[in-house]
Amino acid sequence: MAAIGGAFQPGTRLLMIQAIRHRPVRWIAAFVLGLALGPPLPAAGADAYTRAQRDYWAFQPVQRSEAPPGGEWVRNPVDGFVLEALQAEGLGPAPEADRAALVRRAFLALVGLPPSPEEVREFVGDSSPDAYERLVERLLASPHYGERWGRHWLDLARFAESSGFERDVTRGNAWRYRDYVIAALNADTPYDRFVREQVAGDELWPDSFEARIATAFNRNYAEEGNQKDLLLARQETLHDITAVVGSTFLGLTYDCARCHDHKFDPITQKDYYRLQAFFANVNHDDRFPIVPAAELGEYRRKLAVWEERTAHIWEEMSDLLMPLRNYTPSELLARYPDFVIEAIKMPAGRRSPMQQWMASLLATKTCGTCPLRPKPHLDPVFRNVAGKLKGEDKARFEALDAELQKLAHLKPADIPRGTGITDVDADPPPTHVLSNGQYTGPLEEVEPGFLSILDPGPALVVPPDGGRSTGRRSALAGWLADPSNPLPARVMVNRIWHHHFGRGIVATPGDFGMMGERPSHPQLLDWLADEFVRSGWSIKRVHRLLMLSSTYRQATAPAPGSAPERARRADPFNKLLWRFPMRRLEGEVLRDSALRVAGLLNARVGGPSVFPPLPEGTPKPVGGWKTETRDSDHRRRSVYVFVRRNAPYPMLDVFDFPDSHESCAMRNRTTTASQALSLLNGAEPTEWARGLAARVHREAGIDPREQVEAAYRLAYSRRPSPAEKETAMAFFDRHAGIIAAALDQGGESPVPASVPQRVSEANAAALVDFCLMLLNSNEFAYGS
Amino acid sequence: MTKRIRRHTPATGAPLSRRELLARSGSGLGSLALAHLLTGSGLLPSASATGRGSLAAREPHHAPRARSVIWLFMEGGPSHIDLFDPKPELERLAGQLTPPSFKLPVTSATGSHRMPIVPSLRKWRQHGEGGLWVSDWYPHVAQHADDLAVVRSCWADGLNHVGATRQMNTGSILAGRPSLGAWATYGLGAGNEELPAFVVLTDDKVVRGGPTNWGAGFLPASYQGTHFRSDGPPVLDLRPPSGVTDSRQRSRLDLLQVLNRHHAGRLPADSELDARIEAYELAYRMQSAAPAAVDVDKETEATKRLYGLDEKETARFGTNCLLARRLVERGVRFIEVYCGSGSGWDGHAKLEANHTKWCKASDKPISGLLTDLKSRGLLDETLVVWGGEFGRTPFSDTNSRKAAPEDYGRDHNPWGFTMWLAGAGIQGGRTIGSTDEIGFRARENPCHVHDVHATILHLLGLNHLDLTYLHNGRSERATINGGKLIDELLA
Repeated sequence: MAAIGGAFQPGTRLLMIQAIRHRPVRWIAAFVLGLALGPPLPAAGADAYTRAQRDYWAFQPVQRSEAPPGGEWVRNPVDGFVLEALQAEGLGPAPEADRAALVRRAFLALVGLPPSPEEVREFVGDSSPDAYERLVERLLASPHYGERWGRHWLDLARFAESSGFERDVTRGNAWRYRDYVIAALNADTPYDRFVREQVAGDELWPDSFEARIATAFNRNYAEEGNQKDLLLARQETLHDITAVVGSTFLGLTYDCARCHDHKFDPITQKDYYRLQAFFANVNHDDRFPIVPAAELGEYRRKLAVWEERTAHIWEEMSDLLMPLRNYTPSELLARYPDFVIEAIKMPAGRRSPMQQWMASLLATKTCGTCPLRPKPHLDPVFRNVAGKLKGEDKARFEALDAELQKLAHLKPADIPRGTGITDVDADPPPTHVLSNGQYTGPLEEVEPGFLSILDPGPALVVPPDGGRSTGRRSALAGWLADPSNPLPARVMVNRIWHHHFGRGIVATPGDFGMMGERPSHPQLLDWLADEFVRSGWSIKRVHRLLMLSSTYRQATAPAPGSAPERARRADPFNKLLWRFPMRRLEGEVLRDSALRVAGLLNARVGGPSVFPPLPEGTPKPVGGWKTETRDSDHRRRSVYVFVRRNAPYPMLDVFDFPDSHESCAMRNRTTTASQALSLLNGAEPTEWARGLAARVHREAGIDPREQVEAAYRLAYSRRPSPAEKETAMAFFDRHAGIIAAALDQGGESPVPASVPQRVSEANAAALVDFCLMLLNSNEFAYGS
Repeated sequence: MTKRIRRHTPATGAPLSRRELLARSGSGLGSLALAHLLTGSGLLPSASATGRGSLAAREPHHAPRARSVIWLFMEGGPSHIDLFDPKPELERLAGQLTPPSFKLPVTSATGSHRMPIVPSLRKWRQHGEGGLWVSDWYPHVAQHADDLAVVRSCWADGLNHVGATRQMNTGSILAGRPSLGAWATYGLGAGNEELPAFVVLTDDKVVRGGPTNWGAGFLPASYQGTHFRSDGPPVLDLRPPSGVTDSRQRSRLDLLQVLNRHHAGRLPADSELDARIEAYELAYRMQSAAPAAVDVDKETEATKRLYGLDEKETARFGTNCLLARRLVERGVRFIEVYCGSGSGWDGHAKLEANHTKWCKASDKPISGLLTDLKSRGLLDETLVVWGGEFGRTPFSDTNSRKAAPEDYGRDHNPWGFTMWLAGAGIQGGRTIGSTDEIGFRARENPCHVHDVHATILHLLGLNHLDLTYLHNGRSERATINGGKLIDELLA
């Protein structure tokens, strides 16, 4: 092993692996393990890294090289790099996709919805040289662009609108973070600013509600409300934040270093805790007001009046209810560990930073077992025991309640509130390296710091004015948004590439480390990263570069002849992009597209999440699911469907919606029988099919051939071939007969939402089934 | 081994390179995991000759002793010191605070570590040739004493229900990891063509923590457990909407397959597209197979009585136990049967009333299941696991502070508790490990949840150290960083 380690160089590894590819797998496994490990890692320290680690590509500065010139196929530098790599293998690109396919691809990629037949016709008929450029511009300017690309970011942010764990408590303001992400992408907020806002928006722009809501990126952790060991709860939260920040912004699996130095990457256990230290004093605030100061002042003034006028009522109500409660506050406090009780009993001014932190967490708890009693009108369980009142007490309580009602007009309506994180104060608890990641095993104390292989010193932390925050996260945000940091720009352009081409230039977008993939086009990656930063970190600029390239405009099928066979042999996984890759659409895009072609989509942008009906027989999720009463609210885009952490929406879940307990850089893409059952038999797809059939009737009348034409144009953005038409005709004949026979026996059948006269029920139902199968088909599910 | 890889190498289309493949095998993946990673990760299309794609049956690491697992999950935490682990010392210490020598934790779920010790009110007797101690709460189960290997020294990390239940299922008190059933399915594939490989049966209430308990975590979703509903079709969207007869469904699918063939004809061969075509055929078969599998009316009256279907108290869990047997017969790999889902066994107050109810609900059905499996020759290849997410404390619960002495409850106890295993050729009639004199902490041969998981995988023919999946740069396994085989169980 040592000998191999000594020869361990980035370039050599590939050669060696090529040399051993015919060996048995187990032999190769041992060999590659040796390679990946390299020489044993020495202890942490300034010069503790191996040459291989220091030379590792991802830690080198971004280096821009000029794109190879290429030929007439080359539209922009992306193509130059891609073509060079293809030609090196003796390959060439596929022909350009036809215009109908291209417009559909661009729509699905940028806004997650297919074009209407009119939009297809307009683009196909537009022969001006910049037609495609204008199409891309128009889509980038659409408010639906942020919905599509915001969802990718929400995967990374492990976004959910409930706490997880036992009660899966709803976080009523979480949707504001979702809307922040969508709006930021729509506005093409420079990525460096986007990063700063999410890491330290509260410190950097304390007067901006958006910036404070942006910090909810680090609030999206799952949380166990009834965890009595508050230090354990704190540590789990810190572990979560550390892992998510490390992977999202740096593309590194910091998490591995929680218990020991990273086995493969130069991330020491100390580095892990240096990163964690930036967050040592954070706590969440799910209810901060987001209204202008004058409005807030007015609200508070009115509330104070109401509180004063009702104080005696609340007091008397409390007196009536308290004896009926199972536990007194002190009994509830007694359930906590001694160190929590000490922290609470300590006067605020004399608490240690850790005690102050514990007090701040306890203050956020409003559940029934909280030992700190909130004001009665803020206590969700205040009235829980009122049912136990009897006789005079009961009458008195009801009278008091009536009195309260009379004063209800004085109570101001609650104001809009945001959610995010903030430091408890300017004085953080110490951070230690922890044995096995357990807070009970503190080792060496550490200061906030970056990845030591890049910057071994402590971070320069400047507390902001006002003494309310440590300033630590501002320091981290500065490093994450620093153009000289080799990782963030590379990681982000690679994510964009990953979503456009189904595979990143680095195929493991969440892991740029040694266990991840090496870039397939390293110079292209650096060129894009450099261009990204030079353009002012404009994400839309990267979209333009990728989508306007010839690479992007290739057909999914290579040119006929012998070339495809050669390409398949030389590059079976299409890493070099000798054709445009095809992938099954994500669940959201599938559902939204179906709603759109069915004419049912409610395209409203933003606002609180919606609760579409759950499929029959789904257990009611803990934490609640209040199904919308209006159909139009069922048909919002999927990004607005409420994300209950423990019970994701079934139609999305079955199509690989990521588990929102952790950050997801690359979704799984499975093909399962459950997916088929959902799309074949589910109530929602039946509605889609009825909607589409009704549209077909409206646009094509009752001639079946015209109907097939219309259905194809709506669902596939293209005309059917003669063979496809014949298939459809044969189906209508056969299928209407089967349905008619069933109807004769007293059955019922879904028909289109509106059926023209002169159309039999059997024919109408056959059209619904035809539409349903179009929506189930591979062509629809794969977007082309 | 190379052959297997070649078989899963598609003609075209998927973005996973030979080099990745090697790097992944370098991370400790066995060939089995490797092939699976290819088909299951979404990096390679998931087609196979059988049409089950990533669920195609696969060779185990070594000869398995069990083909299927039935996990009887007593949710809420049954009191081991009132069922399988008698502690006379409790009578002597009754009313006293726990002596410091027993090392109290910094916290307990309800702060009850500051409460006095309470004795067991049960009557105890030894059963079978092995003389296994079982209390009078489980008279029917006790008749099978010689089939039960009782592990008295289990311990876990979760103090609260969700974390503990999750750990018993996934190895971690935090969500996001695959459940053991998902790992087993990942390792072995499905044992049948028409049913899910991993099925979960519950009472009416939702299991604490919900579907994350049988989720696939970072494994592909195809490995997640399927919750069979008790009323109506067992699987979500299994039944076509009313009016869609079988011939109509078939006709729709025939159209779909033609549409898909037209589509495929325009493109290079792509096994992912083929897999999707197969998935629809599998769904169609499942539509008739799954309802048939759960149709207990096909059973004889004698069998139904054996499981207690004729009594109100036992009918629910009995039905689920009977379903479990029917699923085992059909090759379902991993079946989890919850008793008291939604923390039924959580006897913080009035333990007597609580456990009397749930022991009654589970005693006869478990006995019926063991009898039935044995008489059908299935017990030898079926592993039956019994346990909760934790046990209960020897001291009383803060919730029973104001209660009459006989109405005491017990708090959560993850520091020491009992599980038992039967079937799969395990030698019964014996105990393994022990707790301290008051049943508080595991003492001899402590067995962590990871050890239980490692042992179950071993019995299924899988080595927990080799069953890995590369996720975020780490070769993840079911037992995380732990897990040692409970050798005594395997002996």
